[in-house]
Amino acid sequence: MSKLRDSVVSTCEKKFLLNLLKESKRLDGRAFNEFRDLKIEFGKDWGSCFVSLGETQVLAQVSCEIQLPKSTRPSEGILYINLELNPIAAPQFEAGRQSDLSVQLNRILEKCIKDSRAVDLESLCIKVKEKVWALRVDLNVLNHEGNILDCASVAALAALKHFRRPDVTCDGENIIIHTYAQRDTIPTVIHHYPVCISYAIYSNGEIILADPSLLEENVSEAQLMLGLNAYKELCGFYLGGSASVSADVILKVTNRAAKRALTVIDQLKEAVEQDDLKRQQNEEIGFQHSHSFSKDLSQNGNKLADILNAWRTVPTKKKKTEVKPEIVEQAKVEPIGKGNQSAVLLPPETENSPWNVSSDESEETENSTTNKTTNQNNKQEIMEVSSGSDSEEDQVIVLNAKNKMKKTKTKTKK
Amino acid sequence: MVVNVGDVVLPGECLPEPRSNKGVVILGPGLRRSEDDSKGLTVSRAGVLCHKAPNMYWVEGHAKRYVPCKGDLVVGVVAKKSGDQFKIDIGSAEHASLSAFSFEGATKKQKPDLQVGDVVYAKLVTAHREMEPELVCVNKYFKAANLGPLSNQGFLLNLDSRLIVRLLDVQHPLLAVLAKTCAYEIAIGMNGKVFVMGRTSKDTMHVAEALLAAQHHDNVTT
Repeated sequence: MSKLRDSVVSTCEKKFLLNLLKESKRLDGRAFNEFRDLKIEFGKDWGSCFVSLGETQVLAQVSCEIQLPKSTRPSEGILYINLELNPIAAPQFEAGRQSDLSVQLNRILEKCIKDSRAVDLESLCIKVKEKVWALRVDLNVLNHEGNILDCASVAALAALKHFRRPDVTCDGENIIIHTYAQRDTIPTVIHHYPVCISYAIYSNGEIILADPSLLEENVSEAQLMLGLNAYKELCGFYLGGSASVSADVILKVTNRAAKRALTVIDQLKEAVEQDDLKRQQNEEIGFQHSHSFSKDLSQNGNKLADILNAWRTVPTKKKKTEVKPEIVEQAKVEPIGKGNQSAVLLPPETENSPWNVSSDESEETENSTTNKTTNQNNKQEIMEVSSGSDSEEDQVIVLNAKNKMKKTKTKTKK
Repeated sequence: MVVNVGDVVLPGECLPEPRSNKGVVILGPGLRRSEDDSKGLTVSRAGVLCHKAPNMYWVEGHAKRYVPCKGDLVVGVVAKKSGDQFKIDIGSAEHASLSAFSFEGATKKQKPDLQVGDVVYAKLVTAHREMEPELVCVNKYFKAANLGPLSNQGFLLNLDSRLIVRLLDVQHPLLAVLAKTCAYEIAIGMNGKVFVMGRTSKDTMHVAEALLAAQHHDNVTT
């Protein structure tokens, strides 16, 4: 019954996005070369790491086991990287089936991390030709909002850096694996950190967006994915799509990506160090103690009010008389919810808002000198009113009503 | 496990004695009748248990998928065109089908010119878990009644189902507040897809931003 569905991008979304890009704007308000917020958190276990890039989320877990080495490389450990796209990330992904996208992403990640020899595999050897450690990095995409690759590459590297394997001793024939409690654990040796940086290309290389979101990714003509380490060394390069991009454009983008790679790697190292410090000081660790989730909610709570404010200020300057009655009306509307919801309707307390008496006056004084005297009268009245009544809300409404009346009066005078 | 109204509930938990009006209890999404106890209810979806006096119960939760429900008005994207049939992506497990004749005034010769990627506002006439959902763009008098293809100038958003329900409430002030500052057109689909079109792209953008921000703003009200 269930068929493989591709996500369809509607023409209106496409048009809207391309129009915005022509005006050099992006949907989420970022600059063309701006990346989304990168957050790195660690779980209680070694090698468990959660990375979010904006809304895109990837969970990485490193595990290890002892295996027979490959016959071609008998003294080297083995590194597996496995990225899975589950239906939890996006509805069009299917569980347990490799899609083109997942094969492509896996291949790029492997090229970037394995083929650039970022992890020292020789140190994973226990006994030549017989026993080596095999590290396995499992990456699960929890939410797909574009640019899985950047997020996954950071998650894989952070998890590998964070991971510690148990110590092993060998007494002649037998190999003993010591538990974490018995002996100190051994960190993975990582030579360099090749992180992936993605770009979306539009109109034959004229517009290049860093860290494309899901819609931007779907609409783009071509995708450029670069693997770079802190030493500006190119570890992976993938250009897909159909745009004809000139070489200097790519070179320019690569230089920009190198700068970004440096900041990402610094952040990655710092996050691991912070976690180490926490563990040493016996502080609480693990996902349940990371605060990003609760922070997110409170930030978003204020966002709506901000948008409504910013937006309202534009028309208030143009048509003052029109806005006044509007606001009075708005005050009559009863907020139906409790707590946060009421904040939607409460008067914004910014300088530009017409509720703020002082700013209102200053605007009016700019307009005409004749208004000044009436305004002063107005002020006195305000004082009286505020001393009389108890509740704040009432005051404001009365004020505005009077203001309004005053305004209409001044109008008739003119 | 016994739960109360306002609790976070998980599938399998039960509400033993729901309040009924003359023995009738109205169940919304996420609830079904308990198998062991004929009076009780069993939760079938994770979320917050909500109650509206006197006898309405439902579970509100965060879901990215849409489960089609007969009679819902939805916004969908044309995914495929085959003969007189359109396949519409409405965010459900399967694409919904829409006949080219179920538009106002459509005949064999005069069919709506829909392309892949166009957005339509339609009504679900069949929604069964074993069958493909079916859409129409006419009401029962064969009139369009605001249904049909939407303009290509606007923008399509995906919103949380909880906000959708609230926006459809006439008493919800957000749309009215937004309307005071600029004119815009909006089509709200129960499937979480919302089509917004303002006079300029800036207006569209602002309405879209406000709606997206409002998602995180709404508290669950019981």
